[in-house]
Amino acid sequence: MNGLLIQLIGSAVAVAAMVGLAAWARIPRPTEPLDEHTACDLIHTDYPGYPIDAVWIAADGLGAIARSGDNALVLAQLGDSWVTRDMPWTAAITSPIRGGRIRLRIPDPSAPKLSLAVSGVTPWPPQAPEDLIAA
Amino acid sequence: MTLDPIKPAFDPVTLAIPLFVLTIVGEILLRRFRKVKASYEARDTATSLMMGLGSNIAGLLTGAAIVAVVIWVWQHRIFDIPMTAWWAWVAIFFLEDFTYYWFHRLSHERRFWWASHVNHHSSQHYNLATALRQTWTGGVAGTWLLWLPLALIGFPPAMIAIQKGISLVYQYWIHTEAIHRMPRWFEAVFNTPSHHRVHHARNPRYLDANYAGILIIWDRLFGTYIPETDAEPPRYGLVKNLGDFNILRVAFHEWIGIGKDLAGSRSIREVLGYLFGPPGWSPDGSRETSKTLKAKWVERQKAEAEAEPAPPLAAE
Repeated sequence: MNGLLIQLIGSAVAVAAMVGLAAWARIPRPTEPLDEHTACDLIHTDYPGYPIDAVWIAADGLGAIARSGDNALVLAQLGDSWVTRDMPWTAAITSPIRGGRIRLRIPDPSAPKLSLAVSGVTPWPPQAPEDLIAA
Repeated sequence: MTLDPIKPAFDPVTLAIPLFVLTIVGEILLRRFRKVKASYEARDTATSLMMGLGSNIAGLLTGAAIVAVVIWVWQHRIFDIPMTAWWAWVAIFFLEDFTYYWFHRLSHERRFWWASHVNHHSSQHYNLATALRQTWTGGVAGTWLLWLPLALIGFPPAMIAIQKGISLVYQYWIHTEAIHRMPRWFEAVFNTPSHHRVHHARNPRYLDANYAGILIIWDRLFGTYIPETDAEPPRYGLVKNLGDFNILRVAFHEWIGIGKDLAGSRSIREVLGYLFGPPGWSPDGSRETSKTLKAKWVERQKAEAEAEPAPPLAAE
């Protein structure tokens, strides 16, 4: 039992050291704040059959919401990677804003909550269709 | 020479732990100094390694019961296979790898077992740390039952455990982008980083392919082999990637999804479909499976090929 405990503690220390090394090395994939073109490309990769009518970029450039007919296609950054989900457009525009972020709730246990930054320059929901940048 | 047929003389995975640590450190440092292709994101790495650690703990909880069943089956064996015979090790090498192929294929093509295996594919990175992103629920999912026929044939439990460990250690080194291709003869016979990158890819072209453990021959034999194409680099992760790095979500999200679907089921057909259909199965076909994603991809390829203008005729 003691041996097992020592092995577990040793493993935990090794895990911490490797994570620390990975953080120190700063070798994630390069990611820039989104622009419309990049956001559309990323969304199109996961939703190739969905024509994008327009796209809204989050205030910090770390996410976007594209409108495709009655669907909202959500793109959110996770670390140096991206997560996408779709939801009804009506649900997206009625999602609450708290702490300067839109809080999107998705009925999917693998990504139940996504949040995107809003600001005065990029308000949510879009006040008028022209507030969505034409894709 | 006699070897204990029940208790393995050594555990290849335990012996390989220092190798795991050294090679992950090596891959990070080599990438830091721009010597190899790799990428590490600290939180993703933490998730992978914590899943590996948790998998060991989860294994302790179910391990004793599984070992007891294997021993019981072996006590009712058909043949006596000596651990000291060379041919027995050759035989178990092929038979265990064959078993692994089917275990792995089942773990991708049927949702109940995918729920246990999905965590291994949940990283959007492909590096040596990803290899350690192991299941917490394999014992509960019962895929270990697939190895029981080996015990029934007469392979001692210790021999099965050692060969399973060797297979797991072999599969560790192929989780890397640092190696582009191995020599052609090696690529033809063995599972390699290139083959396994395809397996971890979420591109429709690459879905449900290359289930091999050590030998890629099983995929070639059973029609699940897809080569890596330089023109389409693999994008790693899940068809629908996870929304955060929470290890509990990594470990259990698909089980929770199954539970929610079963709670809303209206017939036995739906229950069976949600449990044992392919991942993404739904009664009305509104969700995507690997098959439908691939079919749509093929359609798009055809449409794009047809839309391309014909090459100009050469001047007379």
